Amino acid sequence: MGKQTWKERIPAFASILGLMVLIAAYYIVGAIRDANVAYGLKAIVNQSVVVALVATGAVFIYTLGSFDISLGAATGVSALLGAMAYNATGNLLVMFLVCVGVAVVLGFINSSLASIFNLPIFVTTVAMMSVLSAFMLILIGWNGAGDTIKVKARDVRPLDNIPFKVAILAAYIALCWFVFTLLPTGREAKFTGGNPVCARLSGINEKKLGIIASLISAVGIGLGAFVTIIYAPTLTKDTASSIGMDVIIAIVFGGMPVSGGPRSRILSAVVGAFSMGFMTQIMSMLNLGSGYGQMIKAAIFLLVVFIALGSQRGKLLTR
Amino acid sequence: MKNLKRILCLALCLMLTLACLPAMAAGSVKIGVLVADATGAEALAFRAYYEKYIAKAYDVEFIYSEELKTADGEKDAIDNFIVNNCKAVISFSSVDRPAQIEQCETAGIYYAVATGTLTDEEYEDFKNYEHYVGAIGPSLNTEFQVGYNMAAYYIDQGMTKFGMFGGAVPYRTDMHIYRAAGMLCAMVDKGGEGAAYQGVNKPDDIIGMIYGTGTIETGKIGNLELLAYVGGYDFDDAWFGKLAQMAGTEGIEAILTVGSGVDVLGSFVAGSSVKLATVDSFTPAMGEAMNSGIIDYVAGKFATSIGPIFIATLNAVNGQPIRNEEGCALALDQGYWVATNAEQFAQYYAVDSSEENPAYSKDILDAYAPAGVSYEDFAAFVAQYSFEEITALKK
Repeated sequence: MGKQTWKERIPAFASILGLMVLIAAYYIVGAIRDANVAYGLKAIVNQSVVVALVATGAVFIYTLGSFDISLGAATGVSALLGAMAYNATGNLLVMFLVCVGVAVVLGFINSSLASIFNLPIFVTTVAMMSVLSAFMLILIGWNGAGDTIKVKARDVRPLDNIPFKVAILAAYIALCWFVFTLLPTGREAKFTGGNPVCARLSGINEKKLGIIASLISAVGIGLGAFVTIIYAPTLTKDTASSIGMDVIIAIVFGGMPVSGGPRSRILSAVVGAFSMGFMTQIMSMLNLGSGYGQMIKAAIFLLVVFIALGSQRGKLLTR
Repeated sequence: MKNLKRILCLALCLMLTLACLPAMAAGSVKIGVLVADATGAEALAFRAYYEKYIAKAYDVEFIYSEELKTADGEKDAIDNFIVNNCKAVISFSSVDRPAQIEQCETAGIYYAVATGTLTDEEYEDFKNYEHYVGAIGPSLNTEFQVGYNMAAYYIDQGMTKFGMFGGAVPYRTDMHIYRAAGMLCAMVDKGGEGAAYQGVNKPDDIIGMIYGTGTIETGKIGNLELLAYVGGYDFDDAWFGKLAQMAGTEGIEAILTVGSGVDVLGSFVAGSSVKLATVDSFTPAMGEAMNSGIIDYVAGKFATSIGPIFIATLNAVNGQPIRNEEGCALALDQGYWVATNAEQFAQYYAVDSSEENPAYSKDILDAYAPAGVSYEDFAAFVAQYSFEEITALKK
């Protein structure tokens, strides 16, 4: 355990360095293209906050070495039911509680099924994704107002502002950081993710951890659903459909291994989500067209992850 | 290994630098384009007209969104346009048009709807917005009429047994519901005395019934018969099985589709005597389907139909918006071209896809570019959308 050289330290900060490089690139490209950089920053926050919320919660599941593919569908169902609840009551607090409550119930079902049938959470989430996607169509049909479920934009407009969204994100990150860093749950999750056999033999209850992780993640999903409604109050069967993949990319981009374990960090999700936001804005300013832009985004993604995971290659007992 | 890493990093830097070069050589007026479909043949035809003809003919740069499926995606895309200092947005995406209009009005950039229209209620809400240019495209009445005309075409030929593909009817997509309702109404009107669909015979009742159930019921409509129906875009084995079963239904003479007819049913009707009709667009793939006899009737959007909304938008950007006497924005109906044989299709397509002299060429559009163009003159121009009328304008 000698002193680390700078070469060994770089990978640990690669994701943050990557974000800083992207911020610098954003300003440079913005200046070249005469873009409205200040407005762009607001757009980046708007575009990143939902992914950051869902991804921050999902860190708990990923830390266990597990994987939730139903995040997007769960966010969509929570948002649809939240919107329907608002339309029935006209109360934003009810909408908020329904969004979070539905997400928590879905998370509990996911993790309970995994415990009862002794299956990896990933397996139950695959099934849940299909069920929830179908349920979204059913909800839209029940609503009986075309192919959307709408909340009046003027009703949610007072909440559609950056300070409110950042406050929600900051509060949730603080909660997750507290649980992940200061409570035994976080350490146990890292241990289980790093070496499940040793963790089991040490008396850690893997199933209980799975349920706790799903519930914490569900709160993020519920908050993400709420912010989705206040940002764009017209919901369709495709609402939040891309979130599942965005969360994986954000977490990996943020420097956390998808296999979980001791190198998991709460802030990875936020760093990754905002890195994606800056990258999307840069590609948009360059007007490359989606194909070319996607290829460059993929190349940058590979480069950052390559550097971030550089220090772990060839080491034993790290996942 | 170290050299390989260096080469990879260098390649990445080179890619980014090369990517910046076309961005430097941009046009002076930037217009954002919201698209719900980025890869379909129709979407590519629209894009080719704007990028290969309009962008060269006028000093404009088009910035395209990603493929949009959600309201938050639309909002993100408009934000990106605002960041890029776009002066206007032309929208092909319709998840939440009111939100798009509000967002552009707040940001002070012009907004126009291409190949679509607002509902009457929406138009009332936004017609006086300073930055709302207007909408040019098929209204829901036109969608209804397109379906009606398609069914009537075959009924008038003496056909009595039909199949129907409802596309996005289960998802309550307005234009597909109206097209399907038009087909059913034609059957009711031409099905003889007492003909009715599920006990109703008025257009509004039929439309309401489809919205309610999200499906079309098979059965007799007077002396006509709807033998089979498939809806949705499941793209799984069971769904393809239903389509194959419909194409092979005994006695079926024509299958009427609200859209995507060739893509979903082409392979099943190929080589059979079943006639396939669809609402689609004038694309090379559709031309091939016409030539090979797979498709018999196409009511199609033509790529250059988006020329008038472009010139109206450019006028607004240049400080000469076209408004009616009350100062209200454009709300103009524009229909489809209909081809019922391969020669007719080829003739239409050749004019529509020309990169040198397309249907709505600069010469034609420039007549409506100067200041002071009246709403009535512009409306009369847009109303002349048939192939023959546009060809006459070119002369």
